[in-house]
Amino acid sequence: MIQPDLIRNVVIVGGGTAGWMAAAALSRLIANGVTSVTLVESDTIGTVGVGEATIPPIRTFNEMLGLDERAFLQATRGSYKLAIEFVDWTRPGHTYQHPFGPFGADINAVKFHQFWLKMHREGRAAEFGDYNLCGVAARLNRFGALPPQHRSPLTPMSWAYHFDAARYARFLRDHAETRGVVRQEGKVVSVEQRPEDGFIDAIVLDDGRRVEGELFIDCTGFRGLLIEQALKAGFEDWSHWLPCDRAVAVQCLNDNAISPFTRSTAREAGWQWRIPLQHRVGTGYVYSSAHISDDQAADTVMANLDGKPVTDPRILSFRAGRRRKAWVKNCVALGLASGFLEPLESTSIHLIQAGITKLLALFPHRGFDPVAIDEYNRLTNVQIEQIRDFIILHYHANERTGLDLWDHVRTMAIPDSLQHKLDLFRGAGRFFRHEDELFAESSWMAVLIGQNVMPQRYDPLVDSIPEADVARAMEELRTTIRAAAESLPDHADFLARHCAAPEPESVPA
Amino acid sequence: MERFPDTIDGIDRAIFLPLDGKKALWGERNSMSDKCITKVLIVGGGTAGWMTAAALSETLKGLALDIRLVESEAIGTVGVGESTIPHIRHFNTRLGINEADFLSRTQATFKLGIEFRDWGRLGDSYIHPFGAYGADPAAHEVELFHHLWTRAGAPESLEAWSLPVAMARRERFTHPSTDPASPLSGFSYAYQFDASLYAAYLRRYSEARGVVRTEGRIADVALHGETGFVTHVTLESGERIDADLVIDCSGFRGLVIEQAMKTGYHDWTRWLPCDRAVALPCEHGGLFPPATRATALKAGWAWRIPLQHRVGNGHVYCSAFLDDDAAETALMDQLEGAALAPPNRLRFLTGKRKLQWNRNCVAIGLASGFLEPLESTSIHLIQAAIGYLLDLFPTGDWDPSDAAEFNQTMDMEYERIRDFLVLHYHATTRDDSEFWNHCRTMTIPDSLAWKMELFRERGVVAAYEHGVFLHPSWVAVYVGQHVTPRRWDPRLDDLDPAAVRADLEGQRRRIAGLAERQPRHADVLGAARAAVMAEARA
Repeated sequence: MIQPDLIRNVVIVGGGTAGWMAAAALSRLIANGVTSVTLVESDTIGTVGVGEATIPPIRTFNEMLGLDERAFLQATRGSYKLAIEFVDWTRPGHTYQHPFGPFGADINAVKFHQFWLKMHREGRAAEFGDYNLCGVAARLNRFGALPPQHRSPLTPMSWAYHFDAARYARFLRDHAETRGVVRQEGKVVSVEQRPEDGFIDAIVLDDGRRVEGELFIDCTGFRGLLIEQALKAGFEDWSHWLPCDRAVAVQCLNDNAISPFTRSTAREAGWQWRIPLQHRVGTGYVYSSAHISDDQAADTVMANLDGKPVTDPRILSFRAGRRRKAWVKNCVALGLASGFLEPLESTSIHLIQAGITKLLALFPHRGFDPVAIDEYNRLTNVQIEQIRDFIILHYHANERTGLDLWDHVRTMAIPDSLQHKLDLFRGAGRFFRHEDELFAESSWMAVLIGQNVMPQRYDPLVDSIPEADVARAMEELRTTIRAAAESLPDHADFLARHCAAPEPESVPA
Repeated sequence: MERFPDTIDGIDRAIFLPLDGKKALWGERNSMSDKCITKVLIVGGGTAGWMTAAALSETLKGLALDIRLVESEAIGTVGVGESTIPHIRHFNTRLGINEADFLSRTQATFKLGIEFRDWGRLGDSYIHPFGAYGADPAAHEVELFHHLWTRAGAPESLEAWSLPVAMARRERFTHPSTDPASPLSGFSYAYQFDASLYAAYLRRYSEARGVVRTEGRIADVALHGETGFVTHVTLESGERIDADLVIDCSGFRGLVIEQAMKTGYHDWTRWLPCDRAVALPCEHGGLFPPATRATALKAGWAWRIPLQHRVGNGHVYCSAFLDDDAAETALMDQLEGAALAPPNRLRFLTGKRKLQWNRNCVAIGLASGFLEPLESTSIHLIQAAIGYLLDLFPTGDWDPSDAAEFNQTMDMEYERIRDFLVLHYHATTRDDSEFWNHCRTMTIPDSLAWKMELFRERGVVAAYEHGVFLHPSWVAVYVGQHVTPRRWDPRLDDLDPAAVRADLEGQRRRIAGLAERQPRHADVLGAARAAVMAEARA
């Protein structure tokens, strides 16, 4: 018995990371014997395809597909990631980390950071980052899995990856095609909608082929060929909070260690990423075109490379914001077609993944009941707004005075939802995670404390515990973490032993 | 927030420093100024007052607070048998309370869920368990289990795949395993206990930690002329008690939060019309399930809470449809043993205070609002308020964002529980009384309407992280009250229904066999009693 109104054909428009992630995940539907999945892409439309950094939930996605971690890292020339290092964000010369996993451990049900705030004020605390295992391991360039330990202040390691996004798409394409996804080469020239209700019937390709579908997934990037150009979903512009609108990207050789962390360095009119892969480093400058020219931005990147460049600098344009509705009628937008947030916290791939997971949980039938569509859009909107606030925080909490862009973002009005969080934290270091917010308390603490947002006071409950006991517990945590991190192998050695790419990358002379 | 399986969040990596008998070695105090909270006044004893006193005196013992509790023996507490949800164990753990000792001092029993009789329609019985469905607690996509069950054609009642239900139906109980790979790890448990014994237990606990109890009635609450903050209260005896922070645990009337501060109240009786209850304990009739029972009657419902020494009974009803004498008769008619006290009549108004934290007053318990105990949430709401108060304990300069956060979070707790309760009344086909006709056809809150529609349409439980009742609880009540999904998850379309049925049948047998092998609930309680007595002798 099969449910009678199953979707019979799903058409994914656009390859790239979003398209092939969707194809790989939706390929499981084909096994029902009714649903087909087609992906239409054109080799003439390039994908962005720079190195890409991720956050730990990517592991859940890969596990759902049944991917082997080491095969995946081999195929994508990937490396492990334990943290993001933020250089010069707080003020020039300052560095902090946003590592994965918790800081310290709560003491008598009071948050660890509250004790740190007190001991820091008294000059008796080490750096906040010294109490985070992933952060300490990252600074030592170590990586490995610690065995789970019962009743230990050490939680299991948490990690994500850096990889070549174009190779990831290729890897997922093999996975999807093996499971019956059909790829069609072609450029979309028009979209046909049913006159009575505006649902999309078919897309027409440049050679006249017509591809019919009951559900369309728009993975066409910024332009949103279906969701915007055909269905007019509308776009909510957030550039007043996030003014960066361009990026210049380049890849180079790596003369340095393969660090298990992403680096983000604040620059005059934005910031530069550094993503170390096995064979090269992806880098780029995200900037505000109102504050610097494209040439100046490219010059800045080229002056800050780890090694010889292997590609020419490429300029990309974008606008921060989100599609007002990511799901309209029978079209669901994923990836850049659904909205854009700069990759400061490596959330681009996560937003694709979260969209796919929600789509699977709310997968439509031919009736397209509105309650499921509304729930999808509600969850999508909440999530992207929460991430937006977290990214705005990085810009807003800066002491980089005398630079136009940085003066602007420091003094601008911020969203109420972020203002409330900041007020609570500035009072007595309080923080509450709302709904199913992606970034947990430890992430907010990393950035708030890292960017010197210091509360006026700490939680009054902290004083209920003898200071000598707190000092002892904190010191024990710090040394335990340090010893655990030092017991791990070197990251590059670990990669070479377990996940090395089969053949060396050929490098153009 | 409660999560299944039974783990207490973060406890494995939390540090608990032994504090007993030590004095803090004071470093520099928190505040640069001298504005510190030093005097805490709790108005009212009862469950809310003594839970608050116990938690504050233990958690804040290093702060050298002056904690006073004023109560009057002339004002009775409700003090009927009380049923809880698993969170209560976190509370007891945090206070360092030994379970066996607690069981014997409060005449407590274990609880694996609530049995709902006659709710969806007359003759129905289902149990809302503290645990997810399926025999393999570590299974991926555990939220898909009820879809699998639908896919297999709902071969029998969903509860056949719940281990806690299987144990409750057999009057068996065992503690959940902490090993996530164990088939005994996928559930949680709570207690049923005598609330007045619990309050007395916590009173001893609090007084041993320095809480000063004052017998007396409050004659006057003095507010500051400019700020409206409470400065002190005056007792009928003339004694004056100063306070920096006042915790109003005075029950429905809200002596400080409402009578003095005029905070205002949101009335929710249009969705939850029951406004009276009559309660009394009776002798045990012999049934000993680790579960509370809630039986729907003509104009409300009756609870049965089995304790060790007696059974708590009560009838919650709507006075617009049933008069007090008829309600009392309906309750007396179904007692399983001789009444042990005269009936206690109660009146209430379902809803919540507009602000639960107003200026320097925090209302906890019935002073903060009322939701009928259909899902045993009264003590949970007390506990949640205490937890948030500790998270946001005022710093002396009364940062308004602290109170705003507290109020916002408690509003959410209240509203989500409210919606879950409304679901029980609304999802029914009963048409045997005006009361049920009203509930079945009333307009429900939008926040519930779309949740129900989503489940009916798709079998999807609306996602949110906070809110006390999570996925398995909503599934239990939806399915138990015939809110049946029109379709299953399309990810299951490729499965062979015969194979699914065979797999489910195997799981069902494993669960039944496992439940059968667990000890009897009464024996587990007996062993706990024996352990306490042996320790007392030693």
